[in-house]
Amino acid sequence: MARPKLSKLNPMDFTKMTPARQAKIEAAPAKALPPTDSYKPNQLANALHPEIQYLKVSKIVEHGKDAKSYWLEPNAEKGTTALAWFSAGQYLSISLEIGNIKLSRPYSLSSSPRESMEGHYMLTIKRVKDGLASNYILDNWKVGTEVTASEPLGVFTYEPLRDADTVIGIAGGSGITPFRSLAKAIADGDEDANLILLYGSRTLDDAIFQEEFKALEKSCDKFKLVNVLSDETDATCEKGFITAELIKKYAPEGNYSLFLCGPQAMYEFVDKEIATLGLRRKFVRHELFGEYFNPSKEADYPANVAPEFKVTVRIAGNETTITAPADTSLLRSLEANGIAAPAHCRSGECGWCHSRLVSGEVYTPKSVDGRREADLIYGYIHPCCAFPLSDVTIEVPPVRK
Amino acid sequence: MDKMFDVIVVGAGNGGLAAAANTAKEGLNTLLLEKHNIPGGCATSFRRGRFEFEPSLHELCSVGTAERPNVVYKVFDDLGAKINWEYEKGHIFRSISKGENGFDVRVNAGIEGFCESLEKEVPGCKENVRALLALKPKIAAAIDYIYATKGNPNGLVMLLKHADFMRAAGHSVEEVMTALGIPEKAQNIICTYWGYLGVPTDELNCMHFLNMLYDYVVDGAAMPRHRSHELSLALIDVIQKHGGQVWYNSEVTEFLYKEDGSVCGVVANGEKLYAKEVISNVIPHNVFNMSETKYIPEQNLKLANAREFGISVATVYLGLDCTIEELGMTDYTVFISGNPNPRVQNDTRAEDGLYIVNSLNNVIPDSSEPGTCTMFFTIPVYGHDVPKDLTPQGYKKYKNDLAKKYIEDAEKVLGISIMPHIEEISVATPVTFARYLGTPEGTIYGYKLSGWDNLMARTAGEKNDYAIPGLSFCGGHYIRGDGYSCAYIMGDTIGKRVAKRLKGGA
Repeated sequence: MARPKLSKLNPMDFTKMTPARQAKIEAAPAKALPPTDSYKPNQLANALHPEIQYLKVSKIVEHGKDAKSYWLEPNAEKGTTALAWFSAGQYLSISLEIGNIKLSRPYSLSSSPRESMEGHYMLTIKRVKDGLASNYILDNWKVGTEVTASEPLGVFTYEPLRDADTVIGIAGGSGITPFRSLAKAIADGDEDANLILLYGSRTLDDAIFQEEFKALEKSCDKFKLVNVLSDETDATCEKGFITAELIKKYAPEGNYSLFLCGPQAMYEFVDKEIATLGLRRKFVRHELFGEYFNPSKEADYPANVAPEFKVTVRIAGNETTITAPADTSLLRSLEANGIAAPAHCRSGECGWCHSRLVSGEVYTPKSVDGRREADLIYGYIHPCCAFPLSDVTIEVPPVRK
Repeated sequence: MDKMFDVIVVGAGNGGLAAAANTAKEGLNTLLLEKHNIPGGCATSFRRGRFEFEPSLHELCSVGTAERPNVVYKVFDDLGAKINWEYEKGHIFRSISKGENGFDVRVNAGIEGFCESLEKEVPGCKENVRALLALKPKIAAAIDYIYATKGNPNGLVMLLKHADFMRAAGHSVEEVMTALGIPEKAQNIICTYWGYLGVPTDELNCMHFLNMLYDYVVDGAAMPRHRSHELSLALIDVIQKHGGQVWYNSEVTEFLYKEDGSVCGVVANGEKLYAKEVISNVIPHNVFNMSETKYIPEQNLKLANAREFGISVATVYLGLDCTIEELGMTDYTVFISGNPNPRVQNDTRAEDGLYIVNSLNNVIPDSSEPGTCTMFFTIPVYGHDVPKDLTPQGYKKYKNDLAKKYIEDAEKVLGISIMPHIEEISVATPVTFARYLGTPEGTIYGYKLSGWDNLMARTAGEKNDYAIPGLSFCGGHYIRGDGYSCAYIMGDTIGKRVAKRLKGGA
């Protein structure tokens, strides 16, 4: 091996670096720099992830007396000229002002990704008892109503490297919406999977999109619909609830992925059934749990909690104090007091409402605690799933403008 | 009424966090503005299902331990930020190069361990490798001297006492290693780390590379127990404890100047906010685009035009439903390349270049639930490698094709089975980094540490290159270049410098 001989290198080369660099700088033009969105990755990022989408209702389709589908087109006057592409299964977070209340709600896109290229998104909204936002939309949105939405969000999507070739979709009530999107995406060739859809309804009249699904079944051999009716017998449908037996009846040989979307009561029932199937966790996927209510039912909820507390809210240097009931999430209390707070999934998962608990105590149910490890060390909370246990001071980010 | 602060820091990336923590600790009324809802930029974490993923950090350099603290440890410790440091045990990396003249080598920590590992692979090279590492103390002595002279060293003293420093600092890694007689194969193994700086070692400044290499060899590699989110929240905590404010979802859209050309504030959330000094963790390109051009000194604008953007990455995050033992991964860091030569690795990036596989459970066993483990693939690519004809509709397939290619290659090279265990997957590309960082081309490394724009030359040019009064920069785009450690060190330096200036003038 040669002996190390650094002396071969000229130390004076060191003194040439600065003049060489200065010459390089001198030779460059002093022109204005290209805008960031002139670069390909930035262009794609902007197209895929617009912070806000300004939309307008362009068409309304009624489904019986209790549900409507709203077509939303870009509102060019407000600056949105094209709709962001998405993956079937994603949702939009819709901002609403109902009286003094400023709130947001996540709604799954029921349209296919391909339909967004054709110029519209579709949201399908079902009337629910005490459903503040849903009922407001059903009663107030008309053709021409301006709607403010987020970019497409959420991870309830088909992932070919993770999921089995066949998805068994389990839908309850308005939980059908992401499956319409997925079925159409499969038929369009945008997703490569088989979809067997077990669609639970009380009666066949309650089951929406029937004609479209039937047409899809005819045109696409990768999609199959099974209506499951609890309150009615029909020769073309299964009777009862979605049980382990029913899943097994329609399951293919080998692996399959279960995708569940529906009301919390459905998850409670079906999850018990699924537990008996011995499936690996990776093959069972749930859409957002939805808002959490009544924390006092949890075994680890403390006793003797006062009915309401004082909540001091700091947002970008401003401070307000409100009164908040113990059984209501901090997010809902903020909204009820006309304080706009960032929120998307409202299920503890996405972290968009990530806020700092400056002082006081809150309760977060374990089942919806989607915080990061370090959040627990430094006292951060997700107000959408945090319930006050004392007077608290919280620091909440402003809603992005 | 106008809101007035002593210091406004724009961007809560690593540099901005360290800067703001320092100015707040010095008692200055500090406002940190961040456009996202959480701090850290790349230094964060994200959850998918039952997993919490580290998005960017492989390992921190220059940390050291409580007993033997190095500079990054001290930055956090002096600020009062408590970090649960964890350390990579045994060897510091495994490097596998496929093809002709390839190798599969595990390199140990410690100067002796490092030299022995190389000796085993390339018999007879040990003393030559030792001579390379021996340069580091000489560099440190020279830098101490330069600091002592306030940046005006005597040329003769430099030449007589610090000639080896001048040789190392004035040449590329490859030139120095060749002069030291290190054989090509040993060079290739030593240069495995080039990807961390984003420039192949025939162009990369030797002093810069050696600073990093030496600290990894001597200190080992460190990482926070609770992903990078812990580092970022710890610094936020320091800022807030000292009365500083942190506003999230507050994107700066304009820099405000006085008639004399000095920066006096910014606009965020549509509101004008004023400060005695502004520190930008945002890359000069974006700052200049948010400023009236007449306020940008010609030298600064020319420099921005002359520069190329540094490298970005594509990353694949996997949550697996098997343990790390069942998976059969025994190393924390594995570098895999199609060709042993760094230049070829760079030029064939995204084809058969270099990628890095990290298995965090090998350092922090309970970083995921029992019965599970995570894997983290990093592929260095440039933003301009993203295909020009890629559409939003094609993006999901692009990501999945990329992930599939690297997962399958790792399965083959490492002889393990990954695909059937994927419970969660997330893929990021320069598009993702463009989205979250807002940098041109999604660069995570600021400006490329090109031969002409290397650390030494940047340091010498600092005064002229950043000449806007009232405005300082820190972050990967600043003089020390990229990497967590560099960003923290720079942020710390700039924060202290601004604090000293403001308090001195008070």
